[in-house]
Amino acid sequence: MIGGPTRPGGRLVAWLYGLALVAAVFSGMGQMPILKRYYVSDLPLMGWSADFYILSDLHYLSVSLLLALYAWRLSLGTRLGRVSWSWGPRSWWGWLLLAVLLVTGAVKVLRNLGVFFSPSLLVVVDLCHLGAAMAFMVTGLVVLIGGRRRAETI
Amino acid sequence: MSQGISRRSFLKGSAAAAAGLAASRAPLPQAAQAASGRELCTLLDLSKCVGCEECVDACREQWQATVPDPVKPIPKPFPERVPIQDWSGRKDVQDRLTPYNFLYLEHLDFEYKGESRELHIPRRCMHCLNPPCTNLCPFGAGRVEANGVVHIDPDICLGGAKCKKVCPWHIPQRQSGVGIYLDLMPSFAGNGTMFKCHRCLPLVEKGEQPRCVEVCPEGVQSIGPRAEMVARAVALAKEMARKDGAPAGAYRDYIYGLEENGGTGTLYVSPIPFTVVSKAIDQEHRRLAQEASQGKGRNQGAGGRRRVTGQRGRPHMHRVGDSMASAENLSLALVVAPLAGVAAGFLKLFGGRGSSGGDEGGSL
Repeated sequence: MIGGPTRPGGRLVAWLYGLALVAAVFSGMGQMPILKRYYVSDLPLMGWSADFYILSDLHYLSVSLLLALYAWRLSLGTRLGRVSWSWGPRSWWGWLLLAVLLVTGAVKVLRNLGVFFSPSLLVVVDLCHLGAAMAFMVTGLVVLIGGRRRAETI
Repeated sequence: MSQGISRRSFLKGSAAAAAGLAASRAPLPQAAQAASGRELCTLLDLSKCVGCEECVDACREQWQATVPDPVKPIPKPFPERVPIQDWSGRKDVQDRLTPYNFLYLEHLDFEYKGESRELHIPRRCMHCLNPPCTNLCPFGAGRVEANGVVHIDPDICLGGAKCKKVCPWHIPQRQSGVGIYLDLMPSFAGNGTMFKCHRCLPLVEKGEQPRCVEVCPEGVQSIGPRAEMVARAVALAKEMARKDGAPAGAYRDYIYGLEENGGTGTLYVSPIPFTVVSKAIDQEHRRLAQEASQGKGRNQGAGGRRRVTGQRGRPHMHRVGDSMASAENLSLALVVAPLAGVAAGFLKLFGGRGSSGGDEGGSL
């Protein structure tokens, strides 16, 4: 490669990623019965968020988009040399959280298909999924507030 | 039931294949195992039920004391619109589901084919094969055991009542002022614990029968492997349809629970079609709601038992589609999406313009 780092996808993909991430976090956190309790569902045009089935569908769809983007990025990342990604985790911590979310999420998807898992295992899976999502969210907020340099360190 | 490959079985098969592939590389947790017909199922022959409520009494005697009394005063939830639901002063209520009453009898009087008919229906959790109440619980408080029992772990449940909302029959009932939420932030998160029938799990695990099955003097209920119970239910429903003068293919209208919500561990067979029974239940619930709105409050129910009016805690018997169908469909998107992502990446790498290594400086 000659010149500066490449930025595959540009802004469109970065925006898509941001939107999918917000939708995934919102629909995921909304799986806890808090949106109606704390009036979020009472906001204009937000009535749908009181329906857990709609939230679940939104979670599946937004995560599908995230999976497509991460798969695209990983398939490019190994071959393109110097790549500057304007979206996605910038440290091993972020990727670790994503890996936990991926594994625990996969178990939850299988469970929703009717595959049997030990109930005790599922408690751990559910709590790990929730914990990793919250950690990811907090990390994202720190990055937003602290800027990119901060992001390199966490 | 359809002999073809359903969408769900295809997805489950794909999931099992994927799990098998993964297992060939890394050991799966031993706890993970496919459901393989070990689920127990109850069959209720409603033609035998005389409405004596022996089952209700036995259930209450066995389990009511296991539901704790709330702390007093019960912490006020924030915001104010979150209701405190306290049934501890109304433990005697047994004509609807409450946290202290996991089973009740729906007593129906209605006309069918010009005759006055009576039907008594024991109502409790249906123990769905793929229950949304447990699947969608964010904390893992809902549990499905290998024997098909669907229950709620009171040590984990925070009483958010999501399980009740997503249950097609709204079965779980909340008792405020009990449970783990008291040790967390009782005003801001949670609101008690949800309770419902666990089909006598502690007894079933010891090889005993559920109390409602055991004590019934008429032998209304039987319990066994689901495949066996389904075969018996279908045979019984065909017989009832024939006696009712219905065509042979109409027997499904005499079964409830076979396909409801994707299949349940509770099969009702009735001598009267469930389209008729369902309407009679709705009518009865409307009547009770009307009485409540007229301020009559309480009246006397069947057998002289006190009856609390109101629809809630009294499930319907409408036909119910599979609540998890949408999630099952969207699982396919989760499988296809990363493949599409990889394909797009390869296209960019090896196809025409993409081989230059992408766009410079953030442009498209």
